[in-house]
Parts: sequence; C-alpha cells; structure tokens
Amino acid sequence: MSPSFPPPDKSSDAAMSRRNFLRGCAAFGGLTALAASLAPLREMGEMGDYTSKEQFLQKYYKELTPEDMTKVIARIEGEVQRQYGLRPHVRDLKPMDGVEFVYCLNLTRCIGCRKCVHACVAENNQSRNPEIQYIRVLKMPHGSMDVEKGDHTYDAKQVPEKGFFYMPVQCQQCKNPPCVKVCPVNATWQEKDGITVIDYDWCIGCRYCEAACPYWARRFNFTKPEIPRERINPNMAYLGNRPRKQGVMEKCHFCIQRTRAGRYPACLEVCPVGARKFGNILDPDSEVSYILREKRVFIQLKEEMGTSPRFFYYFDK
Amino acid sequence: MENRPPAPSGRNGALTNYWLGGLTAGFLALAALFVVKAGGHPVARAVIPLVDPKFLATTPWRQTYADLVKAKEDLSDYDCYGCHDKNKPPPIRYDANHKIIVPQEHSDIVMGHGSHDRNNLCFNCHNEQNLLTLQVRDGREVSFDNIPPLCGSCHGPTYRDWENGAHGRTSGYWNRSLGDFQRLSCANCHNPHAPRIPTREPAPGPHQLHPNPETHEPAEAAP
Repeated sequence: MSPSFPPPDKSSDAAMSRRNFLRGCAAFGGLTALAASLAPLREMGEMGDYTSKEQFLQKYYKELTPEDMTKVIARIEGEVQRQYGLRPHVRDLKPMDGVEFVYCLNLTRCIGCRKCVHACVAENNQSRNPEIQYIRVLKMPHGSMDVEKGDHTYDAKQVPEKGFFYMPVQCQQCKNPPCVKVCPVNATWQEKDGITVIDYDWCIGCRYCEAACPYWARRFNFTKPEIPRERINPNMAYLGNRPRKQGVMEKCHFCIQRTRAGRYPACLEVCPVGARKFGNILDPDSEVSYILREKRVFIQLKEEMGTSPRFFYYFDK
Repeated sequence: MENRPPAPSGRNGALTNYWLGGLTAGFLALAALFVVKAGGHPVARAVIPLVDPKFLATTPWRQTYADLVKAKEDLSDYDCYGCHDKNKPPPIRYDANHKIIVPQEHSDIVMGHGSHDRNNLCFNCHNEQNLLTLQVRDGREVSFDNIPPLCGSCHGPTYRDWENGAHGRTSGYWNRSLGDFQRLSCANCHNPHAPRIPTREPAPGPHQLHPNPETHEPAEAAP
C-alpha cells in the first residue's frame, strides 16, 4: 500500500492495473455478498405479502374520495386475483340511514353445534391454518353465567350434552367500545349503524385492542393467512371480509358485506335451531325489536364493564 | 472507488480496506448461513383438515309436505286412501297401559309428542273424516302444506314468536324492501310425531396448538 501510487493513465489499456482489477473484483464480490444476504426478502416477495406502493401511500379510510376508493378497490381486486387466481367483487358499503344493528341470541335454543363458527369462517375468508375463528362457543354448566366456567374446546360426540348450555361469544359491537379507545392510529372505529370496523390497511398490528376487549373477540394474524382457493368467498367488502395480511387485527363485523346489502349474517342463516336473530333495532317491526320488547330475560355479557353491547342473550322460558 | 481522492496516509487506506474486506466476509458468511439454512428450517405447521362442507349447509333438517310438492317428489306416501277405506275412520288400538299401538304399516312413526302420552290419539291432528287433511281440535280443517296454524292451536306463544320471526329459522333479507325473506315451517325442524330436536354431531372445535398448557406439547407432531 504505497501512498505515492501514480494515478493511472486513463487514455490507455493500462488503466486496468492489477490493483484496480482486484479492487473491482472485491467491490463486486462485496455487493454480491450483500445481495445474497438479502435473500429472505425475496422469499417474502414470492409469498406476495409485500405492502405495495399504492397501499403504503393510501390515505386514511375516512379521507378517501370516491375516486380514491375506486382505485383502492381495483388494487385490492388485483391483489386477490394475483394471490388466489379469482376475480372478487369488492365493495365499499356505507351504513344505511335509520339503521342500527342488534343481535339477539336465544340461549334456550342453542345446541352448541358450532355450525355458526364454520359458516363465519367460510363467509369471512378467515385463515384456515393457523385457524382464526370469530365465534367461540362456550359450553357452560347449568345455573351459571360465569364465562370463566365456559369451555370452548369441548369435543362431544353428540350435542347438546345434559347439564350444560351453550353460549356463542363473538364481537359484541359495543356502544362504548374499549377497543376503539385504545387504538393508537384510529384504525378501528364505530360506524353509525353500530358496527365497529377495522381498516386493515391502516392497522399497525399493536394488538392493544385485543388486550382491551373484555370478550376476547379480536383476532391477530400472526402469520400470513392460509385460505384454499376453492374456499374463497368472492363477495367482499373493504371494511369486511377482504383477505387480510400478516400483522393486522380482525374480528366479527356482523358480515358487513351481507348486512349492509340488506341480508342476514352468515351465522344466522346456518343456525339449525334458529337461535340467532338479527335486525334493525330502530325498526319497531323487526324481530330484534320484538324480542327486546316481549322476551323476559336479557343478558348483556359482562354488563358491569360498561361496554353496553349490541349483542343480547335471552331465554325463551 | 477510483474517483476517491488518494488516501492521505497508508494507515487510513489500509483501515478502509480492512473494513471493506470485513464487511464482504460478513455478508458472505450471512449469505452462506441463509443458503445452508443454519438458522433452522421453519417448523412445519400441523395440518388442520378443512371442515366438512356438511357443516356449512344451510338446508333445513327436514322436508315438509309443501317442500315435496314444490320439488315434485314422490307423494305416494301421502296417498292415504291407497290402503285406508274412504268412508271408515281407521281404528286405533291401545295396549294394556293405554298406550297406542302403532300399526306395522306405520312402524316408522315414533310416538313422542309431549310427555304423559298427551297425544295418545292420532286424531288430535289428523282428520279422521278425510285423512288427506289435518284438523284442529275445534274442527277446522288444515291442509298438509300449511301446518303452523294447527301447531299454533296448542303452542300459542311459540306460534306468536314464529309469526314475529323470533322462533325458528329465517334466511334472506332482514331488510324486506331489498329482497325476499324466508321463514321455515314447523315441520322443517320438528318431527310432528316426536318434535324434540334430536342431538347432533357438533362441528370440529378449534384446533389446539398446546392442549396441555403445562408442557406446551404440540397437539400433533409436525410432519
């Protein structure tokens, strides 16, 4: 390493001196090594789990103009098509005027068959592995409403079992939702029809809401969700069942893609005993208005928490 | 590199080279680690079988007479006068305990409607004058494809709940201005001869990663 090395003559082939050649080789090798050490990033790209530039630069949901939303929906449809190979129908459904949703569940009728759990998974494109399920059916001993005594892993040959009743628990769509209060980025909020929604593109995955929810209703995508192509539900909503990415929260949204189009939620339609009732509480002729008016016993789960759920449990007799 | 001004001293130049060499070696080592996956292979997740589509079906448990008519099914079972005599009400025989004897031709019928043999008489619902119809105890004739008023003649509160959509299965649109709303009939869920809902096989529960929280044993060995 002589400091007095003469500058090479650039006009001739002598520019490629032995030293410069070695330096070039070393620099090339170094860059190659750097590139090779970034290989795990490539695997990430193959999984299609990158945040695209459009998503990264996307504005907050409430600030999106209708034109912006058209572009966002086109991006989401493209992403779903690339990943799952089918063209979905994504909509951004807004709350209807004069509608506030309420859910009523008849504990006298529920037999604990868990069909609602799986209808929900199928409708809402939840991950099949690892399993994400919005509904947890608790098997509870008769004479208690203590959820601590509930068991959601029961593995019975036949249901209902003697001496037990079954209580499905999902997002209670609270009027005073603790999950919304703790969100540091306002990625979750309550809409005027009573549904607490999540903007999956705004969520940072801090899981504060999961900790705040007294009902264990929120689920986190620890890994990239796995959904078989043939089980994808192509009827999607932006705030509803469009496929989620790794690192975001999700939860029951009263099947926003169905209910905001006037239909019943999937868990209700599949319930073989008609224990689930859903409707507009502001309409005095709706089933839920009738139930809240006529039926005798109501339980708002963990009423003492002051969350004021829009999910009511009742008994027939 | 070529454009850099000549290093001011040999010591500094050598230092730069050592740094570059060291970084290159570091990156190469890192790349080698990734190539041989020295960090360990990702643990394969336990396979979770997809749920049987039968648990996703929204079809009713039973078919009613009205469904059979609509589906143009074989209705020969409902041709009562193929065997019975038209002008003679069928006789009902009882055993020593005053329990009804179900004739062999109707052996598929389980008598299980109500406790204390309250419905120990076919003609509580069937019309002995015309077996092709049913009857309410006050004498009103009820056709086979519209039975809720008959059931409601005894089960008043349940009938009222059903009419208001609070009892029984519904499907379609909660918003009646946007689409149709379907309500199932009594016999779509209840067997009129034994109305209690039978027990069923439940759908699989959540897959447990650690069934025993003490040991953190995986539920199934990873393949």
